[in-house]
Amino acid sequence: MVEAAGWWSLLVAPALLLAGAVLAVAGDALLAARDAGRPRSAVAAARPLLEVPRLLAAQPRRMPAPDRLLWRLGVVTVPVSAVLSVLVIPFGHRTVADLSVGVVWFNAMEVFTWAGLWLAGWGPNAVFSLVGGYRFVAQGLAYELPLMFALITAATGAESLRVGDIVAAQQGLWFAVWMPVAFVVYLAGVSALCFLGPFGYPVGRDIASGVLGETTGADRLLLRAGRWLWLVSGAAMAVPLFLGGGAGPWLPAWAWSSLKTLLVLAVLVWVLRRLPVLRADRYVEFAWVVLIPLAIVQALVPALVVLNR
Amino acid sequence: MDMRARLLRATAARPHVLPVSTPGGTAARLAAERYLRLHDLPLALTPADADLLLVTGPDRSALRPAVDRLWQHLPAPRARAHAPTADAVPGALARCRADLADHTHNGDREGGGRDSGRGHEGHGGGMEMPAGLPMAGTGEDRDGLSLDQLHVSLGPLLADWPSGLTVRMTLQGDVVQEAEPSRQQLGDDGPAPLWAEPWARAAGGEPVTVEEAARRRAAAHLDSLGRLLAVAGWAGAAATARRLRDELLDGTPGAALRPEVRRFARRVGRSRTLYWLTRGMGVLDGERARAAGVSGPAARAGGDVPARYRTWLEDIVGDVDRLGETAPLDPAEEGPRGGGVGERWPSAALVRVLPELLEGAELAAARLIVASLDPDPDELAAAPQEVGIHG
Amino acid sequence: MNGFTASLALLGVALLGVGGVYGAARALRSPAEPLPAGPFESGLEPSQHAVSRFHVRWYTVSMLFLAFDMEMVFMYPWTRVISAVGASAVIEMFVFLAVLVAGVLHAWREGALRWT
Repeated sequence: MVEAAGWWSLLVAPALLLAGAVLAVAGDALLAARDAGRPRSAVAAARPLLEVPRLLAAQPRRMPAPDRLLWRLGVVTVPVSAVLSVLVIPFGHRTVADLSVGVVWFNAMEVFTWAGLWLAGWGPNAVFSLVGGYRFVAQGLAYELPLMFALITAATGAESLRVGDIVAAQQGLWFAVWMPVAFVVYLAGVSALCFLGPFGYPVGRDIASGVLGETTGADRLLLRAGRWLWLVSGAAMAVPLFLGGGAGPWLPAWAWSSLKTLLVLAVLVWVLRRLPVLRADRYVEFAWVVLIPLAIVQALVPALVVLNR
Repeated sequence: MDMRARLLRATAARPHVLPVSTPGGTAARLAAERYLRLHDLPLALTPADADLLLVTGPDRSALRPAVDRLWQHLPAPRARAHAPTADAVPGALARCRADLADHTHNGDREGGGRDSGRGHEGHGGGMEMPAGLPMAGTGEDRDGLSLDQLHVSLGPLLADWPSGLTVRMTLQGDVVQEAEPSRQQLGDDGPAPLWAEPWARAAGGEPVTVEEAARRRAAAHLDSLGRLLAVAGWAGAAATARRLRDELLDGTPGAALRPEVRRFARRVGRSRTLYWLTRGMGVLDGERARAAGVSGPAARAGGDVPARYRTWLEDIVGDVDRLGETAPLDPAEEGPRGGGVGERWPSAALVRVLPELLEGAELAAARLIVASLDPDPDELAAAPQEVGIHG
Repeated sequence: MNGFTASLALLGVALLGVGGVYGAARALRSPAEPLPAGPFESGLEPSQHAVSRFHVRWYTVSMLFLAFDMEMVFMYPWTRVISAVGASAVIEMFVFLAVLVAGVLHAWREGALRWT
């Protein structure tokens, strides 16, 4: 059902991802305006985009004895891996490439970001930045396994690692309905990857924005864009994995894909503002002792269903 | 109109502001925070992210080197201003933004950071001291393991931190092994700290109504909560706390404020997540607190971080209910940070209990503990120096 | 377009985009001369290099993670053969996972996940 699109998709997919990120940033700006008691308007929503020219015009800084190579490598990895992750995300009936190992590809790209942001924290040779980088490692150690289990649960339900097959396996009943734990864990894991809101521990206010603390100019722009790109990519991947992909009545498949993606994105942006930052000293234990066993039990459900099919 | 000028105008339209508030300048800080909030000028937490450096409050020579160091690290285009009083804030920011947009003015700023302390290109002894700095040394941790130690200080100038207070810490990773607070001797005989001012006036025999004191105390607690929630990373609730604080200080009548204040108190006080994240942190039982001279909400709460923020919330709701009372204030009544009869500047005692509470805590926990006690920098500046706290 | 070409081409597009951002910044920033700056330490000078060996807690959790993660990679191919192999595939995989979880619980009781 899902098939690979032509060369044009190589440009359209990143463009759609970017458009989604701009929408997410605008939505977040409106929520921020409401909290701060500012008028909510189109101008208020668009103002964060002024960051782009501001950061492009900024003077570069030279830190004492930085690890320049790893720093730059880490910064670039975050947005690049976000863009690469859309390779396997279907939009309606089309995808850039319907790899036979699509789920593993998405997983691998997301692991790149765990490494990238740690490097970005290590690079500048600054205490708060380093602490932020390690906080992200702790976050990764806690959320990566539950997230992998969530991906595997969906793959088990379809007995395939191909995203197209996973969509096809949801004809009739969405995975989100009978794999609710995997769905929630997936969303939490993806948000943790974006270090936004309650998962903003590595860029916390308490450590003067941690990993982002010493970056300026294009580096800062790429890191900050990368987190929003990942949020959109995560929301878009939730649709084929758990919400039946482009399936739906009346509208064409691409419309259902975008609608569902925007809905997941809106929920994430809203929820992420509602919670304080979750810290490692509380969630590492929680993730290992509660989330992982829960995720395993959830993975058992589709395995048994598939066995009796 | 070249590209460069356009970019500068875009920067000036929404510059990130690094605010530095000096002790004694709470009124100016509040004015700046309100201005930034209403005009959607984002706060920068570090010089790297800042376009403007805004110093609010009286000029403090003791803080000048730290302010200058921050300024040297701001990348161009940049501008700085000093607003000693609340009235000067809008003008100072407008001037800065005009400076930013003016490219002829900005073009020749490049040399600004030349004298930033050290030569950065390895002019200290070669391999062992790159950039003139030693590497971290090792030291024993609580379990007898030999771990790398970093010497870091929180303060004097840090966002959501009592400005002017410095806590020198020895860190292993992000665990605080040793903490030593110090504050500068500022020898201030200026006006009373903003938050404690109604009590000072009442003690001096001036007529002060209960309403005025209740309003000030509720606003002080909302200010503290704003800081605590910001440190806890709950941006939405922190913004609400600060908005309510500004509305209280604007004199919004109690009837209009009551529903929203109650809603806020319910949302924060009953948040299970916030409780889960802060419980068991910085336990200061009432007896030990009073022995150290602590009075006010911190002593009454007699417990961990949640006990303290819940005490603030209860006080806020109680105070908002008292808006409209015209009876004269009893100067012996407790001020925002306690005090009253025994001690004139109760914040000094809050600093005194810090070392024992911070040792062994994580960096994030240390920030939360300090924010949950929230010593008032104005009071610290006014309080006389004491033995045991080094200047 | 096969998967391999597509992924390489997408990498090319992403890198071009990143290169474009750096190129634009290089052309537009001024002054282009980097500002000699220092790390932010609340307005004070740093007293040593920040890069250091971090707290030991990270190492124990990382070891645990690596052990678990390496084994979990087996689950990806496993998802494809469940019905072909039958009940034994499910039993073996979940007994294996149960052993891993027992390992995690042991590490937890030993305090490997204790963060403060």
